[in-house]
Amino acid sequence: MSRGGYSYERMFAFSSSRPPVPTDLVAKIRPATLARSRTLNLRGTWSEVIPGGVLRRGSTVLVEAESAHGGVSVALSLAAQASAEGLWAGVVGIRDPGVAAMVDLGLDLRRVLFVPSPQAAWAQAAADLLEGVDILVLQPPAQIKSALARRLSDRARERGVVVIVVAKDSSWPVPVEMNVRVTSSRWDAGSRLVSRVLRIRVSTRDRATSSFHDVILPDPRGRVATH
Amino acid sequence: MERLVAVWFAELGVERSDGSALREFSHFLEALGELCPFVDPLRRGLCVFPMRAPQRFYRTEQAVLDVLDEIVQRCALPSPRVGVAQGVFSAEAAARRDRVVPPEESERFRRTLPIEELIPRDVAVTLRRLGVSSVGGFADLPRTRVAERFSALVVDLHRVAQGERSEAPGQRDAGLTRALTRESHDTRGVDEQLGFFGQRGAREERALAAAWRVRSRLGVDGVLVASLGPGRAPEDRNHLVPFDAPLAGSSGNAPWPGRLGSPTPVRTPRHPLPVTLVDAAGLPVYVGSRGSLSADPVRLETGGGDWRDVVWCAGPWPSIERWWATPQRRAHLQILTERDEAYLLRAQEGCWWLAGIYD
Repeated sequence: MSRGGYSYERMFAFSSSRPPVPTDLVAKIRPATLARSRTLNLRGTWSEVIPGGVLRRGSTVLVEAESAHGGVSVALSLAAQASAEGLWAGVVGIRDPGVAAMVDLGLDLRRVLFVPSPQAAWAQAAADLLEGVDILVLQPPAQIKSALARRLSDRARERGVVVIVVAKDSSWPVPVEMNVRVTSSRWDAGSRLVSRVLRIRVSTRDRATSSFHDVILPDPRGRVATH
Repeated sequence: MERLVAVWFAELGVERSDGSALREFSHFLEALGELCPFVDPLRRGLCVFPMRAPQRFYRTEQAVLDVLDEIVQRCALPSPRVGVAQGVFSAEAAARRDRVVPPEESERFRRTLPIEELIPRDVAVTLRRLGVSSVGGFADLPRTRVAERFSALVVDLHRVAQGERSEAPGQRDAGLTRALTRESHDTRGVDEQLGFFGQRGAREERALAAAWRVRSRLGVDGVLVASLGPGRAPEDRNHLVPFDAPLAGSSGNAPWPGRLGSPTPVRTPRHPLPVTLVDAAGLPVYVGSRGSLSADPVRLETGGGDWRDVVWCAGPWPSIERWWATPQRRAHLQILTERDEAYLLRAQEGCWWLAGIYD
């Protein structure tokens, strides 16, 4: 194998020394995903509660709960699995995120972008994040124009982003793929707060019926658990 | 004066050509964070931390020093000199001698130190000529006489000699904090996932591009990333910084004596929100000096005249923190309202504040 002759290396498509790739090209290239997963898998409690055990990419989930009745916990807990598996999440409009609780819920904070107080620009901020994240938790203001909501839902569908909206009531003005409603909450408290049982009603657009479930959120370790 | 442990690595005091001394010191400080969150680096190779909090957890001073030894070994560093004494000045002097000075002897220990250890050489020579050879002899000079003859710096040193001040001026390298921040920033991102071409992953590129867009729309504080900081109460542990700022080291899950455990509130107001808590007679409930409530809380108002009945409460869990700097007396209380909303309240400076919502 002389230097000038036919080198072994050239027989292979990948030579050991790769030429540098121009940076502008790198920005445009994405890893080839052969069968881009259309769903985000859920595990444990949520896989039993959510029909099919998955969150469909591009779908909007509405989490309804009275203030301080677990709406934020449910939304973040639903997002936690994807976050822990390496996907990026955005959290828009949750003003005062409690970091310790979020770690307990299973979010990987290295890949969570918080927009705590977008105020009037909440929809624009959410739309910006839809371009870059896989899952978006959104707590919008009380009054929402349906045109805005529809535009966000449409964009999420195009981008394949799961949007989880947290609201007090059904104030989200456009139909959603899934509705998770906290109907009651009960704390177990001894010498301190121990855990909370949430009664949840899950309904989806495809199915006429809805189902009720009791989930423990948070459990004594701050996670979700099956009742 | 606060009882402190001083740890001194002589060989890390001088930087090596490859900059490894600061890096090793920085790693050690990070590892030490799990023993005590309030480690105070003074100069390269020298840091102090208060004995009290870890001692409360590990029971004895010797047990704390044993853990310290383990941490040193884990960092693969040569044995440091360690001193325990009251105040920063005495602790460093004790470390130079590898001594644990009992609390009752700390005053005497400080007084027996040679004057040169406290005072710059030129002034020390003058004092020696005046017949003052020890820190104690210097402390015995009347403050007015010292002020007449010497500069303001020497007056400050006189305060240290008398045990009024813990730290001598000049004991601390002002640039060290910045150097350490830069150091931890430089080594950050080692575990960053790299993409196929050795750059950041495409997923991350996309996410960060989106974050930049939001930032250009909302300003620097528009997009934040979070990390779990050290601390006792959940609201202390929130580290939310602009997304492109360097993140602090992730020592947030280290054991912490007296930490309020899980579950923790999922919302923790960043700006203090005053609330009103009253008893059956409508009088404000307060935390007494012995750390108990003046009366059972019956009603809570979280602003806007919205009153709820309190059906259960737990605590108060009192704490006095950072007692060697500015003492902070606080107490936390968990309460449950008739609507089954759970809140974490904080009593501080005679008021109740909303510390967290278990949403």
